Amino acid sequence: MTTLLEVRGLTKRYLGLTAVDRVDFDVEAGAVVGLIGPNGSGKSTIVDCLSGFEPADGGHWRLDGRALTDLPAHRIARAGLTRTFQTVRAYDELTLLDNLCVAAQEEDGVGWLAAMLRTGRLRSVEAAATARARELLDTVDLAEYAQAPAAVLSYGQRKLLAIAAAMMARPRLILLDEPVAGVNPTMVRRIERVIQQLNAEGTTLVIVEHNVDFIMSLCRRVIVLEEGQKIADGPPGLIRSDPRVLAAYLGQRGAAELGQGRA
Amino acid sequence: MRAGVTRAFLVLLVLAVLFALPRLTGNEYVLALGVSFAMFSVLASGLNLVYGYTGLLSFAQVGFFGIGGYTAALLVTERGWNLGWAATAGGALAALVGLVIGYSSLRLSRHAFAIVSLSFALLCMIVARDWVSLTRGAMGIPGLPVPTLGFMGREWRLSRPADFYYLLLGFAAAAHALMYLVVSSRLGRAMRAIRLNEPLAQSQGIDPLRYKLLALALSALLAGMVGGLFVFYLTIVDPSIFDFYYTETMLIMVILGGPGSFWGVLVSSAVLAALPDLLRFTTDLRMVLYGAVLIAAMLLFPGGVAGWLARRRWRRWRRPRVSPS
Repeated sequence: MTTLLEVRGLTKRYLGLTAVDRVDFDVEAGAVVGLIGPNGSGKSTIVDCLSGFEPADGGHWRLDGRALTDLPAHRIARAGLTRTFQTVRAYDELTLLDNLCVAAQEEDGVGWLAAMLRTGRLRSVEAAATARARELLDTVDLAEYAQAPAAVLSYGQRKLLAIAAAMMARPRLILLDEPVAGVNPTMVRRIERVIQQLNAEGTTLVIVEHNVDFIMSLCRRVIVLEEGQKIADGPPGLIRSDPRVLAAYLGQRGAAELGQGRA
Repeated sequence: MRAGVTRAFLVLLVLAVLFALPRLTGNEYVLALGVSFAMFSVLASGLNLVYGYTGLLSFAQVGFFGIGGYTAALLVTERGWNLGWAATAGGALAALVGLVIGYSSLRLSRHAFAIVSLSFALLCMIVARDWVSLTRGAMGIPGLPVPTLGFMGREWRLSRPADFYYLLLGFAAAAHALMYLVVSSRLGRAMRAIRLNEPLAQSQGIDPLRYKLLALALSALLAGMVGGLFVFYLTIVDPSIFDFYYTETMLIMVILGGPGSFWGVLVSSAVLAALPDLLRFTTDLRMVLYGAVLIAAMLLFPGGVAGWLARRRWRRWRRPRVSPS
């Protein structure tokens, strides 16, 4: 397995608080890695820093050997690292097809003039993008809404649309920021299926979640954060029984009770 | 496809009527309304590109308009340039200024841009009034000569009222065609994406600054050029070309027509260009009336007529669903 994402010494401070404290980790190509931790442990901050939405105060990271540290967000996206947002985002007034096609248009190298004049090349890349968009809408079960504006979707459907949009430009790696937060159990299973399907097609994913069961069933490797520091990193079975993780989540007493319950 | 053919046919029909108008009526008042429509529709369409598509509230458009007007007037009177080149130079200078104020303020925030654009428009008026050696101060440059346009080796002297009508209408048609090429292409789609959700656009590899600067430069170019042509119709350029009246009229056209709707703004600028003359009996109250309409529209009708129509079309997608997840 080759290393796709390499993060070293990532640090982020807000005023006096160190939200992320010298975090190191690697993500192997083709993996689905979970990133969990209690509220305020720095998970989302890591996503914001790696994707260029928050400037990091220290550390560096590479995607497939290419340094991404301190690049602006759109450059990081073009380098192949995309993300979704915790507060789900979509272009409400655009159709689902446009929501997806716009997500790929900066990657195909067709210039502004060609776009204005609708050259043959532009038409062929747009046709390819539309075909891929329809395929992805199929994957996330939203094909019937292809021509509908995103505003009519439900919350869970918007989460699916966001995942599909993040896939449009065929990224190397996607950071999913709480893909199932606030979503009903049926939709959770649907999102889980979609993630598995995308991974089977070769996409590497890092998933930030509060829903521990979701992470444990989906990921073969889990990283646990507490107060900005990495406290555990390994397969779900080991994470479940790691005393530091249990203490971080449940406090000492809760950890003891859970230990009995599982036994 | 059929809707596209119908629309193209309608556009050709309207253009044919507009160009035949001077032959159908010798009424100079009607031609003056046509000139006003041509001028304002270009300004409003430019503001629509900046505000309706990329989401930047710009008060700077009137500055671009006036810069084009002054530049063209000075180049023709002082340097003896042909009007076509003078207006193009005015547009180019306006676009350059637009890029400078955009680049310097947009890296901060949208709000910084709005404030800088407002200051810029006020500054333009002060410079026009006080830089007397260049602009001749508050009196402006009156008595602009009857201009000539060089066209394929032939000189066209714009001496009749109908000449300016043809010139401005022709320019407006070309400007709108260019604008339409931009907004209906995927450039327009990216601009709308930036307005609707800028962080999402960034996460998809779109560089918002480039698109905002494109919108700003294109709108400034067209506003500057139309300003350069319009002052020769007025035969005078003075600091009142930077008047807030132009800004307010542009804003009301965009907001009532529907920000982000090319056709909506085009239609609303036609209606509203005719309206001030219907409201002529209340000259003093006109600006107050405009202000009131603007506030009411912002509160009750935020998407304009086009936005309201689009929302009606969306209804068919809103079927009863299982409880939102």
